[in-house]
Amino acid sequence: MDMSKFKAMFLTESAEHLRSMSTLLTALEGQPQNREGIDALFREAHSIKGMAASMGYERMARLAHHLEDTLDGFRKQGEISPAAVGRLLSGVDLLEDLREDISDNLPERDIAEFIEQGPDHPAVAGEQTPEPPAAGGALHVALSLQDNVVAPAVRLLLIVKQLEVLGAVEQLSPDLEELSAAGRDHRQLQLRLKTGLTPRDIEQAFADYPEISQLRVAATAPAAATRGQDRRRDDRRRGDRRQQGVAGATVRVDTALLDRFINLTGELVTNRHRLQTALGAQNWRELNEGLGQLGKLVQSLHGQVLQVRMTPVGSITERLPRVVRDLCRKNGKDVQLLIEGAEIELDRTILEEMADPLMHLVRNAVDHGIVEQGTIQLRIWRERSHVQIQIQDDGRGIDPQKIRQRAVEKGLLSARQAQALRTAEVLQLICRPGFSTTEQVTETSGRGVGMDVVKAAVEKLGGILLIDSTLGRGSRITMQLPLSVAIIRVLLLECDGKLLALPLSRILQTRQIERQELRRSGKQLLIQLKDETLPLLSLRKILGMPVPPAAARISLVVMKLFGRKVGLAVDRLVGHREVFVKKLPPPFDRLRGSNGGAVLGDGQVVFILDVQSFLERRR
Amino acid sequence: MAKRVLIVDDAQFMRELLRDIFEQAGWHVVGEAENGKRAVEQFQLLKPDLVTMDIVMPLRSGIDALSDIIAAKPDARVVMCSALGQESMMMEAVKAGAKDFIVKPFQPEQVLRIAARAML
Repeated sequence: MDMSKFKAMFLTESAEHLRSMSTLLTALEGQPQNREGIDALFREAHSIKGMAASMGYERMARLAHHLEDTLDGFRKQGEISPAAVGRLLSGVDLLEDLREDISDNLPERDIAEFIEQGPDHPAVAGEQTPEPPAAGGALHVALSLQDNVVAPAVRLLLIVKQLEVLGAVEQLSPDLEELSAAGRDHRQLQLRLKTGLTPRDIEQAFADYPEISQLRVAATAPAAATRGQDRRRDDRRRGDRRQQGVAGATVRVDTALLDRFINLTGELVTNRHRLQTALGAQNWRELNEGLGQLGKLVQSLHGQVLQVRMTPVGSITERLPRVVRDLCRKNGKDVQLLIEGAEIELDRTILEEMADPLMHLVRNAVDHGIVEQGTIQLRIWRERSHVQIQIQDDGRGIDPQKIRQRAVEKGLLSARQAQALRTAEVLQLICRPGFSTTEQVTETSGRGVGMDVVKAAVEKLGGILLIDSTLGRGSRITMQLPLSVAIIRVLLLECDGKLLALPLSRILQTRQIERQELRRSGKQLLIQLKDETLPLLSLRKILGMPVPPAAARISLVVMKLFGRKVGLAVDRLVGHREVFVKKLPPPFDRLRGSNGGAVLGDGQVVFILDVQSFLERRR
Repeated sequence: MAKRVLIVDDAQFMRELLRDIFEQAGWHVVGEAENGKRAVEQFQLLKPDLVTMDIVMPLRSGIDALSDIIAAKPDARVVMCSALGQESMMMEAVKAGAKDFIVKPFQPEQVLRIAARAML
């Protein structure tokens, strides 16, 4: 029987059950007498056992059975001890490791040690065992590069050369000849490294390598002496794994929604016949009506496809309590994470992009914000056309003076420039690339995600990142995100004969004004709107287009740039459109100032401008 | 003490762009060269900590200049600069001893990160 297609399903479903167990256990630590929770856990373990057994994954089944038995005992008691929760969490971690082994086509690892421990043995996570040096052994190194790395084969070659400094490279796959061959797009490699160094040493050597998306170093002959270091590495790898986005390659769809799709398809088929018949009979009126109906059907289809993509935020927040718990254990802190609004739905793409940044923000709050004890509030709520995600902690807050100092130290600003900044601007400085020093990137803060990446992720989605902090009281980070990225409404405008688009979500209002309404303050032109005075900027000037002599009437777009309201003068306002955003292909995706392009109804391609990003790149 | 870099590229605006990037981050740009021959001369004369080397240049290519420099000083730190699509040349350069590479168009963060890493 062909088990391979079942394997994919097994992997997806078991991952869900394991995540659920992790969440349930973390909650049970605070509520040891929650019978329903223990029952639910028991059922999850039971399901995993059944699936693993039917697929022939003997060790996974046996371990799940062991956990199921343990849970059965607690079910009868009606409560569960914290020590037991800790051990069960380790058990779940081990099940996840086994699942990874299965996913990587490796033999299932040994579980005897865990099972021998007995039900009340305290959790082994976070033990500070000193690392014994590897006994002149060999390490197995496997790594893969990020998708966006240019010249990946060359990058891999450089990495191999670096490894050659650390030990003797053997069994390189793909080998040097294959790597050097033109036209191959190698992004992964494996090798054996003969060295006296520990896996930890190797991992640290490549700590500052954002090009690497995954790095696995394993001792090939684990002796009893190396068990301690294996355990710490496993902890880190599990931490990394927990970081990875939950949104997988599949999605759960409501069957009612699927039924609507089937109905819609039926109507489209009918509509096509209608159009064909009308064309054949040269019945233009009928053809026109048929096209009108087609328009409505397409709109309906759009809407429903978007619905399928909407997923609750809970899918990326559910693993956070466990992460906070583990961090607290490791650092001896006591932090409570409150989550509100996890049921709010967002487009999948947005959730996928925000998964890592959100994790980073929470880790930051635990690592740097809170000193010993505190609370982190994660709130999600919907506004008319946005979703707000806010993380607030009651920790020590950010010290603007320290930020100013560091900025001057790093050569980002002169001392005088630093002093001249307002607090809000100072706080935004932490989002500059490379701002965090290596001392700050602790073992727990993970690889390659800094505030600059968080800000970039938010802005790439057309959102806004706001940082607020009071020294001694806490910090608050708010991310405002659009509901959907696939289809957005834009304002089409013309500048120097070129058609451009601005996301409607960033626009406050549009107006026609007379030149005589303008005021002047030194060199800056101003416009008075109701009770506000706004500076006038010229989009032509910003984009480097020639600036014509002044016209009598000016088309104005009012929007916020860098937190302030401005009036943007354009040649002509064309209208609103709803467009499907297309990401720009590399290398255009590295251009700052545009988040993508769109194809209009008449086939024209327009760039969707991100004016703030454009101005930032000039600063 | 500021780190010293030699910038090699046949396009003047490219050299200025890189000079800007390095100087803003506190590096000392000790010199520039517009072809491979000058690059080797300047390297011998100025003894920089780091060299950024364009791959395609008149008179003597970046790869040949790289080989000369490595022959003279095997632990020299040379970072190659290339455009997209010159992968096979970059491969050659790495085999010849280049420490790393950056691809145009340059992002300042990327340049500085790779330069910092090359200095380790």
